[in-house]
Parts: sequence; structure tokens; C-alpha cells
Amino acid sequence: MGLGIPEPMHPFALIVSEPIKIDIWSDIACPWCYIGKRHLEEGITSLGDDAPDVEITYHSFELAPDTPIDFEGSEVDFLAKHKGLPAERVHEMLDHVTGVAANAGLDYHFDTLQHTKTLKAHELLHFAKQLGRQLELSERLFRAYFTEGRHVGRVDELVELATEVGLDADEAREALESSRFAGAVQADIAQAQAYGINGVPFFVIDGKYGVSGAQPSEVFAQAITQVAGEKAA
Amino acid sequence: MSELTETTATDAPAPAPFAMIAGDASAMVCEGDVCYIPAPSVE
Repeated sequence: MGLGIPEPMHPFALIVSEPIKIDIWSDIACPWCYIGKRHLEEGITSLGDDAPDVEITYHSFELAPDTPIDFEGSEVDFLAKHKGLPAERVHEMLDHVTGVAANAGLDYHFDTLQHTKTLKAHELLHFAKQLGRQLELSERLFRAYFTEGRHVGRVDELVELATEVGLDADEAREALESSRFAGAVQADIAQAQAYGINGVPFFVIDGKYGVSGAQPSEVFAQAITQVAGEKAA
Repeated sequence: MSELTETTATDAPAPAPFAMIAGDASAMVCEGDVCYIPAPSVE
């Protein structure tokens, strides 16, 4: 340095400096996916200055493709009707999830939640990914669905949410109305099937380790640390 | 808590290019309209 001559690059320099890729299969309508998202984020944060760079990508997993866009009734009504569970049991389940979510710093309101088909939300996530805004949109959609009682199955509502994370309204609407990301959604779902993924959230860390479920933050921190160590070795 | 276990043909329905991290066995997943501990007891 100092002579204007670039120093020779270490042959592994580019490899070592590459971020750890974290691929996440999830659905906006999945309460444990939002909780798992928070646990992952907490796990990364817990590593402090030792946290390696990570590159997170969300992949589509439509939990209930037969769900109608508009469902008249509450989440309790939906689960009771579809699963034949007693309303009392459904209330207990949802109260439990709400409590775990609160421990993760999330504010779930199943009483105002609008159960809907999430296909268009997935298409919008692919559109946002193309523009580098997928993480912001993912967070916005989860909060809209579980906390704010927004209807994430309707194009108008999705376009409004898209603009809140800096996406262009007209472009977002065109992406949704043309369904041009429908193929990308199905490709993600097909990839999940090929991997044997039956439930979400599901995390694949740097293509090497699979993590199923809303694991505690410590599990994510340990897995990321292990991968970082292996990459540096 | 996060013991690493190799995925094999006997415990995975489809081949995956990664090893599974067992983690916390009580971690919840959602499948279809229900979420559960993959034991599997319906939650």
C-alpha cells in the first residue's frame, strides 16, 4: 500500500467475508413464524460484535391454500369450523400463542385478526425482494396481520402496506394484479416439498443446517456461530 | 439444547442438502391450519 499497487488478495478473502445466508420458509398467517423471526433476530443480536454478516431471504409457504380471501367470522370461528375443535379449546390455544408472542415482544390480537388467503402477500414479498425491501415488508405484513387486524389478502390493502416500506404503489399493484410473481411463489413451495419441509417456520442456515420451528434465540445464535466458525476455518 | 443430528434417509421424508439441528424439541411449527409441537400433539 502507498505505492499505488494493490496488495495481492488472500485466495480465501472473498469466501470468508461472504455473509451467512439464512433462508426462511414461512407464511404471514403463521403465528409461530413471526415469533421465530423475533427469536432469530434476538439470536443474531445476542452475538454482539461477534455477529457475522447475515443475508436473510424469505421463501413462500402457503399454509392453507384453500382459505378464502374473505372469511366472515373470527379466528376462533375459523379454527372451530375447519378443525372441529371446541371454541373453548381454540381460545386456550390462542391465549397460549398470545402469551409466547408477548414474551418475544410481539402484540398479538386474535380477536381482530382477519383470516385470509396469503397468496397475494407472498407475491408481494417476491416483488419486494426484487427491490431489496423484502425484510421490511415481511415485518410490516406480520404486524399488519397479527397486531393491527389488517386484511392482507386484498390487493388494495397490500398496496398500501407496500408503500409504507418504500415501494411504489403503482408498481406494487401491477405486480399483484398481473400475478407475475405467482410462479416464484410456487417455486418456493416446490422447493420446500423437495426438502421435505411440512411445517413452518423452517430455517436453512448457509445451506448446511436446517432448523425447524420457532426455536429459542440461543439455538439460532449457536447455529450461526457454528457456521461462521466453519466458514472461517 | 441444540444438538446436531445428521439427517438420514430413515428420518427424513425427502433428501435435503443440510443436516438438521435438533434444537428445542418443544419448538412450535405450523402445518395447514394448526400449529403443534412436532411430537405430534395438536396445539
